[in-house]
Amino acid sequence: MIPLESLRDSFEGVIPSIIATTDADGMPNISYLSHVHYVDEAHVALSDQFFSKTATNVARNGLATVMVVDGYSGQQHVLDLAFERSETEGETFERMAIHLAILESRMSGIMKLRAVDIYRVEDCRAVPAANPLVAPEPLFLPDLMGKVARLTARMSDCGDPETLLDATLEGLGELFGYRHSMVLVPDGERGGLTTIASRGYDQFGFGAEVPAGRGIIGLAAERRRNVRITDLSRGRRYIEAVRAMAGVEDATPIPLPALDKPLSQIALPLVARGRLVGVLFSESTERFTFRHRDEEALIVIAAHLGTALSFLSEERERGEANGREKADAPADPAGSVPAGRRIAVRFYPRDGSLFVDDDYLIRGVPGRLLLHFLEDYARTGKRDFLNREIRRDRRLQLPDFKDNLETRLILLRRRLEEKAGPITLERADRGRLRLTLAGRPEIEVVEE
Amino acid sequence: MLGQELVDFIESPVMILFATRDEAGRPMIGRGSGVCVDRQSGHLHFLASRSQWPDAVSEALPGRPIATTYVRATDYKACQIKGRIVAAGAADEAHRARGEAYVAEQLARMIALGVTRMQLSSTLSDQELVCLTIEPQAIFEQTPGPGAGRRLTPEAAA
Repeated sequence: MIPLESLRDSFEGVIPSIIATTDADGMPNISYLSHVHYVDEAHVALSDQFFSKTATNVARNGLATVMVVDGYSGQQHVLDLAFERSETEGETFERMAIHLAILESRMSGIMKLRAVDIYRVEDCRAVPAANPLVAPEPLFLPDLMGKVARLTARMSDCGDPETLLDATLEGLGELFGYRHSMVLVPDGERGGLTTIASRGYDQFGFGAEVPAGRGIIGLAAERRRNVRITDLSRGRRYIEAVRAMAGVEDATPIPLPALDKPLSQIALPLVARGRLVGVLFSESTERFTFRHRDEEALIVIAAHLGTALSFLSEERERGEANGREKADAPADPAGSVPAGRRIAVRFYPRDGSLFVDDDYLIRGVPGRLLLHFLEDYARTGKRDFLNREIRRDRRLQLPDFKDNLETRLILLRRRLEEKAGPITLERADRGRLRLTLAGRPEIEVVEE
Repeated sequence: MLGQELVDFIESPVMILFATRDEAGRPMIGRGSGVCVDRQSGHLHFLASRSQWPDAVSEALPGRPIATTYVRATDYKACQIKGRIVAAGAADEAHRARGEAYVAEQLARMIALGVTRMQLSSTLSDQELVCLTIEPQAIFEQTPGPGAGRRLTPEAAA
């Protein structure tokens, strides 16, 4: 029997599989099946949503034959299956449920995973090309372990969360060729995610949002599972459905940086001590950019990134607590506020959204943080703010999680930088931020 | 038994699958290389490559049951026709020509869709074509969705 492990590209669902069974009278039944899932070296799983005849036949004699097709080479293999059990929970069920959730909008909501059927593979045979049209081209896949080692070593050298984020995305492009990537962090309020770092797009999209549970990014976060799509070329409708689910077509104020026509996508949850700290997302205009082995490499990198992001954010907290920073930042002398032009700042307490000169800037915690800085500045001329002071301020309604403040500050600073407007925020030194304004802020708080 | 629309559908350039089974009831899978319907008898003349699908073709014996499925790639419209094999043998010249035309058209369509010739090497073949004469016995809706598996009357089959 050919080892199933050697056929991993045939279990990607790129080219539909085929299933055949026989009924009590010996009459065969044959139909397409969207996906045969690899479970282990001796088992596969099927989610059969539509084909009641197949289910009836399997319930009778436990036999099914499937043919899987390698999405790269077209090589076909026939698997003789014997039904073993149905599962309604667990690792395989969850993995298949998330795949189905992505397909669901394309299928008008009629697909819902009730159970997965686990089959024992009794034999696996190749279907050789009897009359090949062309000679098969051998597939060369480079070793990824060395690249993982190099990138994680670079990540370990980073001393702060921001450098870490940039070094990771830079390394994914340089070492692995994953040139379009981003990191999103939980917004801590609406259950969604916000882009904090990106590489390879026309715009950085800092502050762009993905709603909870939507698209492969939202699903990866909500279910804490990796989601990988190997080939989106099976139809424009499919691509549009996935793009919509990725949040691209939502009426969000800042568009998600996204490729126009991606063919491969992967999203991995970043988890530290059992808590979601973000999502690493990457995409490509090529098919098969993310094979099973790429996912394995990215799992290691995502684990390292999640832990390091959490650790570096907390270390900043510890640094402040140990008193290595200067004393509380003093206010500038009254009257130091520049007289320059008027900067119109409008703030909506309902969702913390903040507009500068009628342009949307950001919402949520980063919006409230900036309002806080601007109000203090307008009142006292204060320009320097310490993380420690910010955290103590009850007006800000900061989430409890420690690393949230750090990532919100990074997000706010990057968003201001990207906008290149009259307000900037720089990191003056450890735990200290400096606000710079090219004019006098006039703040309007709009209660709705 | 087959309505005209159904005949037109299965004779159009749809993807074709078939399944036979061995003595023990284990199904065998193959891909079809074209089909045509005898308007007089209502039988299907179903073409398959023996060299590409030796297992499925070797179980396609007169008297044995067979299932054939037809799928239009553009909209997933699909149906399954089950029946009994009346005769099996090497395809004659006319059927070979039909099989070769079907394979050539499918290859052109797939390549236009971005499928590579390498990927198609194992899928379609017009070599060593056999012609299975099939008496249709039942027709089923197979388009994905809640209606899949529904038995169609000849009238509704179109």
